Formats: sequence, structure tokens, C-alpha cells
Amino acid sequence: MPYYRCVVPKDSVPYEQRAAVAKAFTDIHCGNTGAPRSFVHVVFDEADDRWATPYFLDGGNRAGRSEEVKAELLSDLMGAFREITGVAEEDFSGRITEGPAKWTMEGGMVLPEPGEETEEWYSHGQAAAGG
Amino acid sequence: MSRVSFNCTMQEGQIGEELRAELAAALQQITQDVLGESPDDVPVTFSDIPSGYGFRGGEPSTTSLVRGSIVGGVTQEVREDFMRRICDSWMEISGCTVDELVVSARDV
Repeated sequence: MPYYRCVVPKDSVPYEQRAAVAKAFTDIHCGNTGAPRSFVHVVFDEADDRWATPYFLDGGNRAGRSEEVKAELLSDLMGAFREITGVAEEDFSGRITEGPAKWTMEGGMVLPEPGEETEEWYSHGQAAAGG
Repeated sequence: MSRVSFNCTMQEGQIGEELRAELAAALQQITQDVLGESPDDVPVTFSDIPSGYGFRGGEPSTTSLVRGSIVGGVTQEVREDFMRRICDSWMEISGCTVDELVVSARDV
């Protein structure tokens, strides 16, 4: 976690844009939350999902952050996506759902709750990013 | 309806088709051992993320996600034991590293 799934129409977002969105999402998430970069997952899915808009951001995060942080995060992510891909505002919507951190194990460690991260966890995240 | 199920998402080319039956059997056995569910009642699905569509830390990803859904009510100790056994077994069978695996056990 976090896990950002971008639902997009088939062949609508070329690799260069996908890579740029993934990097931007990682920068934004880490900038807003302080999480290690290696924990940010971004996936592009050309599934035939039925959302209100052709492009949809379906994000999943650890629960426990303030409404202000969550709203800013979603706004920043969606803004970056639109800027990179050129998708019109009316064609793109999104949400971030949350679940308890303790339900997920990543890098062999149970995820800490937001605000309860330890030095060991940060160190592991940095090591994973470098490895 | 099954009380426990798994959805496994891998990056294309990371885990061959020949390993998937073994991985599924391992997940079902762990579920039986830890949660007491019959392996026959534990559906396991696999899907691949095409190359160039999955990223981690802003770079192409090699990470697999094993997402388990379980009936609520287990203690965190049991949940952690369940996830750790899955981690260990998945790494042993697939050859991936601990940093290439995310396991979750979510209440449904």
C-alpha cells in the first residue's frame, strides 16, 4: 500500500505517460504522507469496468489519515494524471478507499498505522527501493 | 459463498503458469491449517498485469500481490500468522524476494 489503480480505455495512455504518472503519483504520495517510495504501487488497467467516467482512479490506502490530507492527496493525484495525459476533467473521476494497515504485510512486515511508522520500517522501505 | 478466497496479481513474466497450481495448493493448505477451512472451499484466482502497466516506487514493478478475503473475527495474531505463512510459502515456491510480495488478509 498504497495501491493506485488507474482504469483507462484500451490503448489510450502510452507507456511514456504511464511511467510519468507512476512517478508523479509516487512523488505526490510520498510528499503528502512521508511514506517510503517503494511502498507506492501504481497499476494501469484497461479493464472494461463501468465507472461514471471513461478514466477512473481507484486508490487504496491505509486508514487513519485526516480528511484534509486525504482530500489534498486525491486532488493532487487527479491533477497530475490530467496534466500528464491531457484527459479532460469531465472524463476523469476517482476515489481513495481505506483499510486497516494491520491487514497487509509488505516486505515481510505488517504495515504500521499512519503516524506509528518506526525507523526500522522506513529503513526497510529505503532498502527495498534500492534493491 | 466461500468464507475465504484469494486473488493473486502478478507482473507479466514473473511467475510461470507451471507454478500456479502449486501456489494455489499452498494457499489452500495454509488456509486449512490456520483457519480450518476445507481446501475445496477456497477459490484462488490469478491475473497478470501486462508488462509496462505495473509500477512500484515509480519504476517498473516485479511485485506480486496476494489478496486474501477472510471472514472477520480472527485475532491479529492469527491474521499475522496467516499472512506470514503465505509470504514464506510464496517466496519458496516462486523464488521471489520478500520485497517482491504484498500479502493482505482483509475481512469481508
